[in-house]
Amino acid sequence: MPSHDTLGVRLHTIGVMGAIVSIDADFCVGSGDCVRLLPEAFELREAAGVSVPLPGAATAPADLLVRAAQNCPTGAIRVVAEDGTVLHDGNG
Amino acid sequence: MLIDTFTTTVELRTYEACREALFSPHLSRTFDTRGYHDGNIREGIVSTAHGPMHRARRRVENTQFRPDKLRLYEQELFPQVLSDLLDQLIVGEEIDLYRVGETLASVLASRRTGLDIRERDLDELAAIVEFVDIFSQGAAILDSKDPEAVRAMVYDAYERFDREYVTPARQRREGLLARLARGDLEEDDLTHDILTALLQHRTDPSLELMDDGRIVREVATYLQGGTHTNGQTLVNAVDLLFEAEAGGRPGLVERTAEDRAFAQRVVHETLRIRPTTPKIRRRTVADVTIGGQAIPEGSLVIVDVVTANQDPAFGDEPARFDPDRAIAGDVPRWGLSFGGGAHICPGRTVAGGFPAPDAHGSADDASADEHLFGLVALMVQGVLRRGIVPRPGDAGVRDTRTERFTRWAHYWVRVGAPRAASAVR
Repeated sequence: MPSHDTLGVRLHTIGVMGAIVSIDADFCVGSGDCVRLLPEAFELREAAGVSVPLPGAATAPADLLVRAAQNCPTGAIRVVAEDGTVLHDGNG
Repeated sequence: MLIDTFTTTVELRTYEACREALFSPHLSRTFDTRGYHDGNIREGIVSTAHGPMHRARRRVENTQFRPDKLRLYEQELFPQVLSDLLDQLIVGEEIDLYRVGETLASVLASRRTGLDIRERDLDELAAIVEFVDIFSQGAAILDSKDPEAVRAMVYDAYERFDREYVTPARQRREGLLARLARGDLEEDDLTHDILTALLQHRTDPSLELMDDGRIVREVATYLQGGTHTNGQTLVNAVDLLFEAEAGGRPGLVERTAEDRAFAQRVVHETLRIRPTTPKIRRRTVADVTIGGQAIPEGSLVIVDVVTANQDPAFGDEPARFDPDRAIAGDVPRWGLSFGGGAHICPGRTVAGGFPAPDAHGSADDASADEHLFGLVALMVQGVLRRGIVPRPGDAGVRDTRTERFTRWAHYWVRVGAPRAASAVR
């Protein structure tokens, strides 16, 4: 199972308006914890075994995005607020 | 020596520092640097790996712990197996609850792992439990009083386990995968278990699974992990309930038997007070700062789970067994008993279900039908409803083969009149 998705993308980023949420596919292990917490913001790509952010991540509550990032087992999620403040830095 | 020489040893005790250590990518579980043929009984398995191979393996294995699979096990498969087995196991005036717990837990651990066993055959389950006991000693070898004896015993067990269980299961699954490749089978018709997932992706070099020995050891790891924690937690939960009632808090047993949400909180509180791994060890692979403390590369870091789980973060009187305790914020009710970070136990939701809404709600809690209480809550309710009561005197015998004080070798209870419904709903 490749760590990158079928398009060969390592860093999945969502956010034009609102927060910018990134998941590093090299670090994500597809635990699905983020999807369980915020299904409107994250989705599992089973073929690659990783989570990716959805468009809903950009407008999801910031505190829940940070909680998802903090609880990510491998620190794969990075959350940046609209004003550029890094709310949670990942390991990627 | 199992452990290399360390630069320094650091013991962490607060919840925040322990959590930070477990989530750090610079702390590794790899201790035994000797090669497989030199005697590392855990070489190449997911729970001691670090870095890209570990993450690749977890990506494949995590697919077997998705909510749909958990619901299938908890809501459809386990209740009937539990009821059938309790009919056979809870007979006579006295029973060994430890043996009951391990037997119950071994059934679904075998299925999830990918072993084709006769699930209602107590002799077969006893053979599985015997393997689990040996592999558990192997998993706890860092705390063992006689590591060389454990090493020899585990080697012997791997050979028998492979011959009697893994090879037949592997051959059957390889046949199914060959049919899938020919188009004679749909993906949904495959067996859904760890072994199948590993075989399906085995040619991916990032998994480092070409050695058959690694397949055997990985399967053994999941069987052991899936059985031992659940079995021990059942006994610890019952022991804590009996102890609380004897200490002047009546009604806890009755309430646990009747109320599944409360039974789940009992299990979480049990895991917090009595983690099956009281101390977690890590080795720093870079200079790091944990809890404000600089720790050089090559250090041994000991995460004191018992103390961390009794941190003020867990509310008033954190040492007291109180399933109703209020815990603020995002602190899991079971504390750090399933570890944390990259090596967090993948089966935590199998054992403990989804977090209760009052702890830190999730989308899975939105519907009562969809909520998962965890298999141990079902097991605890199952044995309590069958009417078990304390046996006077020294009913419990601790497993003293390791330093892990939360493990039992035997736990005798009496069988009284059934409570509430006799079968788990």
